[in-house]
Amino acid sequence: MLDTYSAISLGITFIATFVATFAATPIVAKAMKSRGIIGVDVHKTSKTEVPEMCGLAILIGLSVGTVVYCLTIPTAVREAAAFIGTVLIAGAIGIIDDLHPLGARTKPLLTALACVPILALGTYVPYPDIPLYGPVRLTIVYPILIPIAIAVTSNSVNMMDVMNGSMPGTVGIIALAIVGVLLWSGDLSTATLASGLLAAMLAFFYFNRFPSRVFGGDTGSLSVGAALGALAILGRIEAVTIVALIPHIMNSFYGLASVRGLRERREILERPTKLLENGMLQASYQKGAPVTLTRLILAAGPLGERDVVRAMMILTAVSSLLSVFTYWIAVSVK
Amino acid sequence: MKRILSLAAIEVFVWFVLLVITFLVSKGAIEISFGTATLIERIATQTARLLVSAVLILLWLLAWKKVADLYLSKMLSRHSATA
Repeated sequence: MLDTYSAISLGITFIATFVATFAATPIVAKAMKSRGIIGVDVHKTSKTEVPEMCGLAILIGLSVGTVVYCLTIPTAVREAAAFIGTVLIAGAIGIIDDLHPLGARTKPLLTALACVPILALGTYVPYPDIPLYGPVRLTIVYPILIPIAIAVTSNSVNMMDVMNGSMPGTVGIIALAIVGVLLWSGDLSTATLASGLLAAMLAFFYFNRFPSRVFGGDTGSLSVGAALGALAILGRIEAVTIVALIPHIMNSFYGLASVRGLRERREILERPTKLLENGMLQASYQKGAPVTLTRLILAAGPLGERDVVRAMMILTAVSSLLSVFTYWIAVSVK
Repeated sequence: MKRILSLAAIEVFVWFVLLVITFLVSKGAIEISFGTATLIERIATQTARLLVSAVLILLWLLAWKKVADLYLSKMLSRHSATA
């Protein structure tokens, strides 16, 4: 159960991460704008220019939160180091990708390397919990699966960062579900780290929501995705995280399957959506267009960007509820 | 919104199939054993379990893709006819 000290530690970590991310975002945005690091908001007829790479504020927030976490729970420094190490490596790859775009194959390969702190510090238990069965011994294979897991989560979140607020909005909901499941399982230290991710997403969502004043860039999305992967491994909630990520996996898997493999956005000629003159978004009717979650949402008719993001968040809320239900099934079977 | 309900139904279907797949993994793949006495036996056991699980997960992804493709083509044809 959550004792008073753990509750205070969780609360302090949450507040520190929220305040740091909230304070850092406008500063980072100003710095990016002054250096000319800006992106075009392609889903608006006005084609507004928005500061890019502001995901750096998330990295700052998560770093501050992790330091606070270490100060309040000194016994969990190794776990915290593995978490923030993974996040920072993925963030560094994101910075490189934002400044000098990486190839479609290079990016997943590099993000897989972000798991090095988890492997080096040995902060994993090679007995993943399978719903309806229980823990399975995978002592040899599990370490090989860790880089794949980090690459999948970071790139899936990256591919979902296509609209104003879609990345922090959906990941915030997943982080909330993960905090709940970890508290339920009694893993208070990983729950505290997850609460930091939730706080960072809430703070960043304020600036990134429609109409966006900042873009997270690959710096933000890759690091946030890696954070989810790291939490799944540290908290031993692999299956729960996979279920919560159903909309993200749906988006990335369909996208990759429909364009037949790993390709960068600029390599794909057909767009999944079309911006209408009235500012609404419409699904592409072209057969070769990528099948993304956005296109699936828009298949039933045009919608505004805000409504598309709302639909993504509702779908993520459904998958997050299913993930909690999955954990309940796993606990019941035991 | 009706469109969200349809997509949420796909999610629930995908989740349910995932549970069925994990049940099959627990009844089939995890029961595979070539022994655990030596390192070679352990590697063989875990690799076989992983391969069978991977095939089942691939089936899960294909079932998922089929349903989504059906939804997309049905919705697009319906909407392009009325547009």
